[in-house]
Amino acid sequence: MDRNHHQRPRSSSSILDSLGEELIGILTPVSICMFTVVLLVCLLNSDPSSSSSFSSIATAAYSETDSDSPWDKLLGALLNSLVFVAAITAATFLLVLLFYLRCVAFLKLYMGFSAFVVLANLGGEISVLLIDRFRLPIDAVTFSILLFNFSVVGVFAVFLSRFSILITQGYLVVIGVLVAYFFTMLPEWTTWVLLVALAVYDLAAVLLPVGPLRLLVEMAISRDEDIPALVYEARPVIRNNNLVQRRVWREQRSNHNDDVENSEAVTVVRSEISVPLIDDSSSRPESSETFLEGIGLGSSGAIKLGLGDFIFYSVLVGRAAMYDLMTVYACYLAIIAGLGVTLMLLSVYQKALPALPVSIMLGVVFYFLARLFLEVFVVQCSSNLVMF
Amino acid sequence: MTVAAGIGYALLALGPSLSLFVSVISRKPFLILTLLSSTLVWLVSLIVLSGLWRPFLPLKANVVWPYALLVLSSVCFQEALRFLFWKLYMRLEDVLDSFADRISRPRLFLTDKLQIALAGGLGHGVAHAVFFCLSLLTPAFGPATFYVDRCSKVPFFLISAIIALAFVTIHTFSMVIAFEGYAKGNRVDQVIVPVIHLSAGMLTLVNFASEGCMIGVPLLYLVASLTLLHCGKMVWQRLIESRNQSGSTLR
Repeated sequence: MDRNHHQRPRSSSSILDSLGEELIGILTPVSICMFTVVLLVCLLNSDPSSSSSFSSIATAAYSETDSDSPWDKLLGALLNSLVFVAAITAATFLLVLLFYLRCVAFLKLYMGFSAFVVLANLGGEISVLLIDRFRLPIDAVTFSILLFNFSVVGVFAVFLSRFSILITQGYLVVIGVLVAYFFTMLPEWTTWVLLVALAVYDLAAVLLPVGPLRLLVEMAISRDEDIPALVYEARPVIRNNNLVQRRVWREQRSNHNDDVENSEAVTVVRSEISVPLIDDSSSRPESSETFLEGIGLGSSGAIKLGLGDFIFYSVLVGRAAMYDLMTVYACYLAIIAGLGVTLMLLSVYQKALPALPVSIMLGVVFYFLARLFLEVFVVQCSSNLVMF
Repeated sequence: MTVAAGIGYALLALGPSLSLFVSVISRKPFLILTLLSSTLVWLVSLIVLSGLWRPFLPLKANVVWPYALLVLSSVCFQEALRFLFWKLYMRLEDVLDSFADRISRPRLFLTDKLQIALAGGLGHGVAHAVFFCLSLLTPAFGPATFYVDRCSKVPFFLISAIIALAFVTIHTFSMVIAFEGYAKGNRVDQVIVPVIHLSAGMLTLVNFASEGCMIGVPLLYLVASLTLLHCGKMVWQRLIESRNQSGSTLR
């Protein structure tokens, strides 16, 4: 078993050095996004009595008040989720229609516009809340200039495909954080039922033959084209001796991936899916954003994860943070485990898979288990300083 | 007691594991995955235990034997799970070795296997620190502090962070001992790990006595340093042995 030792030259590397790199490349931004949302929730929600009246299309049917009975709240939450999922389905079908009619330029422009609105509008609101919380001295002119610059660079990062990869990835994470934070402001029952409803919708939209996302993917594959949408791609890294280079973006797509670095030496089928999200607040004009939902392998062998997945993972963890930190850790581990399972299924089935269902279901289950069982147990033990 | 104190308590419990993470584990992505999966295994074991014990909670205060039973059952369950974890790891090792053969790279070295065991142990330790110490640390970021009656000399957060540090050490290094013990079939190593875990758990019951934490915590650190010494000795022996083995075949 150790016979290889005498053949081992000084510079040979074990397989352990580079195994699992792509997975870590996708886990790191997901973790950063979740961590930032939890931090924002902890910093900005220290006042539980002020319930901000956040109205969006997700609360159009029913707005929760504390005095309702649980049954009323459940019915209201179901109604809200149905409205939201119906709106998303309609918007996705619209997207499929536009893609079918080859209005790709319009879609790209729309994507840039929605990125600008998210960064300027939502980013500005959160910045104002943070400035208020920390009493930072800054004047309105400087603030608006900085915000404008920040948003414009973000639009370029999302729009152009040859932008610096680190900045693009950073901006995608920031967009995910901003939208996720706003979704955590929904009422509690609505959030949980909405998450479960979206997981079911994702499953149906990607796997059913009539699902809009599946139609979109098949059209994109048959035309050998990109879908214009917001997607996070973890670029793989090549290590030559001690030099670390990033693989350059390849123009043409290759169906075979025979790179030794890639641990999953499987044939790669490009798959992307997109889902629009509609966010409507009372005083603001209606804005819709186009996100990518689902998971696939990119042409350079990197794993692509849609921004919608980032957002809903962070919403789940953010909502768990509003209860206690223990539920946050439990949900974080559940989501990471779900993501790992999805990626394993991806390498087995090699087609577009929905990234939401497994993680969201595990996350919700772990949240309720942690809240009902774990917390009592742990507090009981550690308050008596009994640990194992 | 302010943000600085809260961060201080968190670093007290998790500081050494953070430096271990940055220096050893973050270099190899596979070790990060091992750490995450072993954290998940520990969390699942804790949830199962809390589900089993939920009907009996809350336990009566000042009565020791329910807590002793709780610790005993939890340690037995976790040790059984550790054995299953090792079995899973053996399967994974076979998969990795055959993969290495297929791409004509060298098989897993001894240091690789030890590093995987270390990452697994660190996962258990970090999970322990997070759930038993960090999750209760939220009030420490505020303007006040909290003292428990039984341990009135030291704030509650500080004593739980100190205990968590001892347990992180115990979990991390006993996993290395356990993996080597199961792999080599060494009875001493196989038995010593549950014994260490159980004695550490039982020692925390000493905290029930008034001012018991003055005795209990130093004894706990004694157990932790014993674990560290035994693990160090064992690893040193294994490394010397494998070097001698490879040296003798050079002829």
